[in-house]
Amino acid sequence: MAVAGDHALSTPVSVPAARTARRSLLPRPRPWRHAWFLETFTWLYLIWSIVPIGIAILFSFNNGKSQAAWQGFSWQWYFTDPLNSVLHSPELHQAVIQTLRLAGFTTLITVPLGVGFAIGIDRWRGRTSSSLNFVMIFSFVVPELLLAVALMFVFTQLITAIPLGTNAEVAALVVWNLSWPAIIVRARLVTIGHAYEEAATDLGASRLQAVRRVLMPMLMPAIFASAVLVFAGVIDDFVIVEQMSSNAGTQPMSVLIYSNVHGGLAGPALNALATLMLVFSLIVAALGYVAYRFMTRGERGNRGEALTSIAGI
Amino acid sequence: MTTAVDNRSGDPGAHGRGRWPVLRRSAGRDGRSAAPPERWGLRALWVTLAAPGAVWLIILFVVPFYVMLAVAAGSVNLLLQSPVPVWNPLHWSGSSFAAVWHDIVGPQAFLGPPIVRTFVYTAIAAVLSLAIAYPVAYFVTRYAGRRKTLFLVLLIAPFWVSYMMRMLAWIDLLQQNGYVNRVLSLLHLVGHQVNWLGGEAPTVVLGLVYGYIPYLIIVLFAGLDRIDPSLLEAARDLGLGRWRAFWRVTLPLSKSTIVAGMFITVLPMLGDYFTNQLLSGTPGTTMIGNTIEGLLQSPGQQGQGAALALLLLVVLLVPMVYYASATARASRENI
Amino acid sequence: MAGGHISLVELKKRFGAVTAVDGISVEIEPGEFFSLLGPSGCGKTTTLRMVAGFEEPTSGAIFLDGSDVGRLPPNKRNVNTVFQNYALFPFLNVADNVRFGLRYQRLTKSEVNRKVGEALDLVQLGSYQRRRPGQLSGGQQQRVALARALVLNPAVLLLDEPLGALDAKLRRALQVELKALQERVGITFLYVTHDQEEALTMSDRLAVMSNGCIAQLGSPRQVYEEPTDAFVADFLGISNLMEAVALGPGGGDGLGGASCRLKLGDFELRATCGALDALGDVKLAIRPERVQLRPYGDTGLNRVPGMVERVVFLGSASQVLARLAPGATLHCLLHNDGEPVTWRQGDPVSVELPPDALRVLPNGSATVKEIREETLGDEPPDLAGSAPQPSGRLT
Repeated sequence: MAVAGDHALSTPVSVPAARTARRSLLPRPRPWRHAWFLETFTWLYLIWSIVPIGIAILFSFNNGKSQAAWQGFSWQWYFTDPLNSVLHSPELHQAVIQTLRLAGFTTLITVPLGVGFAIGIDRWRGRTSSSLNFVMIFSFVVPELLLAVALMFVFTQLITAIPLGTNAEVAALVVWNLSWPAIIVRARLVTIGHAYEEAATDLGASRLQAVRRVLMPMLMPAIFASAVLVFAGVIDDFVIVEQMSSNAGTQPMSVLIYSNVHGGLAGPALNALATLMLVFSLIVAALGYVAYRFMTRGERGNRGEALTSIAGI
Repeated sequence: MTTAVDNRSGDPGAHGRGRWPVLRRSAGRDGRSAAPPERWGLRALWVTLAAPGAVWLIILFVVPFYVMLAVAAGSVNLLLQSPVPVWNPLHWSGSSFAAVWHDIVGPQAFLGPPIVRTFVYTAIAAVLSLAIAYPVAYFVTRYAGRRKTLFLVLLIAPFWVSYMMRMLAWIDLLQQNGYVNRVLSLLHLVGHQVNWLGGEAPTVVLGLVYGYIPYLIIVLFAGLDRIDPSLLEAARDLGLGRWRAFWRVTLPLSKSTIVAGMFITVLPMLGDYFTNQLLSGTPGTTMIGNTIEGLLQSPGQQGQGAALALLLLVVLLVPMVYYASATARASRENI
Repeated sequence: MAGGHISLVELKKRFGAVTAVDGISVEIEPGEFFSLLGPSGCGKTTTLRMVAGFEEPTSGAIFLDGSDVGRLPPNKRNVNTVFQNYALFPFLNVADNVRFGLRYQRLTKSEVNRKVGEALDLVQLGSYQRRRPGQLSGGQQQRVALARALVLNPAVLLLDEPLGALDAKLRRALQVELKALQERVGITFLYVTHDQEEALTMSDRLAVMSNGCIAQLGSPRQVYEEPTDAFVADFLGISNLMEAVALGPGGGDGLGGASCRLKLGDFELRATCGALDALGDVKLAIRPERVQLRPYGDTGLNRVPGMVERVVFLGSASQVLARLAPGATLHCLLHNDGEPVTWRQGDPVSVELPPDALRVLPNGSATVKEIREETLGDEPPDLAGSAPQPSGRLT
């Protein structure tokens, strides 16, 4: 896409005039001059946004218990310390496993459900369908706390067959993340349109075969992107999981950090946990990016498309 | 001109191969067919595909709110101090609601301040977020040129950093002996070491901003990116200066994006409780979310917690419904 | 293999309040290159889609080689379509795209490969088997779409404005290629376009459509030289429509055969084509290449004085716009025969309208029907649009 203010356009026609004008009191404003203020502002924002995280990661390697004073580099919080490191401490260890377990199960359930929902709702015209669509979008905008509280009541008062714990956590996380694949795949469906499936039926495929052979491959990138988002979302999730957890055994990393911030476990251990969460998310994001590019190889499109899809834009 | 055709004695062999009933050849007739299959779609196929997700959604999204209502309108088991939900609407009692209302506006009300505080914090945080996010998004979409992808990656990066880590980062920095205090005293801006994490409102507000701004930036980026740059060029061509062109062209075009961004920033902020808990942890800066949490964890008051949660839901219902229906409509009309 | 005879009988399609196709009846002969020509919204694409099977007719019947296929799904009909944007599957390479439909015919693997190779050779893309659609140019994609459809040996090939997305020069080259291809393969082509040059170049016969009905059906020559109403005359090329009054049949003016006396402003004219027995207000049409420009003051039959308004150089011809005394402005086409054009802006001129080129058209098209205003019902066909944005996540 052409961007106004591209450097190529910024060559002013009247360069000599501008130069002489600058010697005078008021410089003549060039219409497409580079936006220095905005760029500085942006860089300041980026620094403010990213540097603290870098520092937090740094402190996970701190050789000591402080979260504010740098005491040297050490792996102790990750695996060398026999008692308190992530590798050796059962509490921390358990949290890592739990996070990965939740993320895996939730993604495995949410993505098929959400994709089926998206395709079905898109093609099925009717009042029921639009109401369901509305409910799904509603689940996207409701504050997480309200849903978490409501679900907590459900599992303690209504569906008592499922006690609070891992199963409840997964079930709740599925509902909370269902809108990712539903919305992303639906958006992609709209872009794809009907032409390809029509072409498939024209060439001899039945409706179901057209969906299987043509629609699904074309949706794969979007399905992948939504899977990545669900996985990363579950790693990050806190509110719902906290309400659904029952004991220390079912606490993922996010809840563990939360409950230990004001004392409890040593500070840098929490940083180490958080860094691990980041690493997992990045691995998944990178995998998703690579998979997306692989699946759309040979298709027209810009490089930014993979990034924006994975970001959910 | 056109030629009319006489009745053919065509072979009906084609009927057997198709699944669709072949009607009488309606040459000259103008009747509707029996039950028009909608565009060769197999309705059953679509319903089956959507069903599992739909069922899950209903059971674990729609029903829970009813359960919450039943708890809020229910009673308390005095022995166990646990809530007793009442399923039948006819037997609902408003005692929990009354208690909550009393706590908000009654003579010994203590819920007033958190509620007011919540809205104030959120308002300030939202405005601040917009003030920061819009210029950044604008710069990246309009002026980044070849570095657009680089900036996009940098902007999306916090998205992948968990909320916990982002808060942890600031907890580290805001410690008594943390870097923030060190820098400030170096610049002689403060005389002593400030306890930023001890219940300071600015800390919480800035925490909210820091936490939610990546989402806002992404939404604004997506919306601004969609604006056709030739519109802006046309405005400049027609004689508008930079600022005027922005004010009269770009800003109106981005209005709906700003509204959408505000929705997805403000709504979750109102239910936030953990930012305050992490960055402050003192009663002086509690928000509605903290109060709900507190009520839920006090024995015997879970009904009131549910009532307060429902109250919040009702307050947010109108904007949520508006946003949901606008989005649903937009996706149908392919806007 | 059956011949590819299509018969449409009183075909109608309504989308809620809008009647897109309003009773079309047509016989298309096997092996014919038949075009549906018309402006946007005239119903030509809807008709094509009904023949393909993507739309269901509201009423009427579609016969393919004698069988009623109107209610069959598209995968059961022996017709194949080339779509406007080609609809090549982006995740398959060229060969797999072409191979797609062959899965539903019971053939061995080697037979399939052979057919794929043949089809691609037919469209001169034999060496492109491994490429992906995204790596092909527009013209190449179109040819892959053709190959994909033709490899299945359909009785009829449907083409929905396939050349619309290409630039002018490529379009003209492909027009010739398409026609040659059709003659070689020998199957019926049903072609939809809004470009009259395309339709005239390639078709054996064409139907000009307007508002859901067929205005005229005939060979390109017939439709161009002998339009039956003002709409058809104006749609195909420039028709120089003029308002005139018909005074009745003429005779005894040495024209040999029937003629009509007309009054254009104050000038009396004779015409020997069209609705010669019309009376009262009529329209006259004459093709620009038949208008003759004579020196001012030249006398004779059908001379109208006028003035040259503008001379436009078109390359192979020059276009002279002449304003006649009664007020109408005519386009006149002078072919470039090596002599420079001597007419200049402002020159007085005597415009001759030869009677055998002057056509009388009845006032008001006989085939225009009003669209009834009904209460709204179902939605019109939706078009692929841009994707809505999923906004950021709420935590």
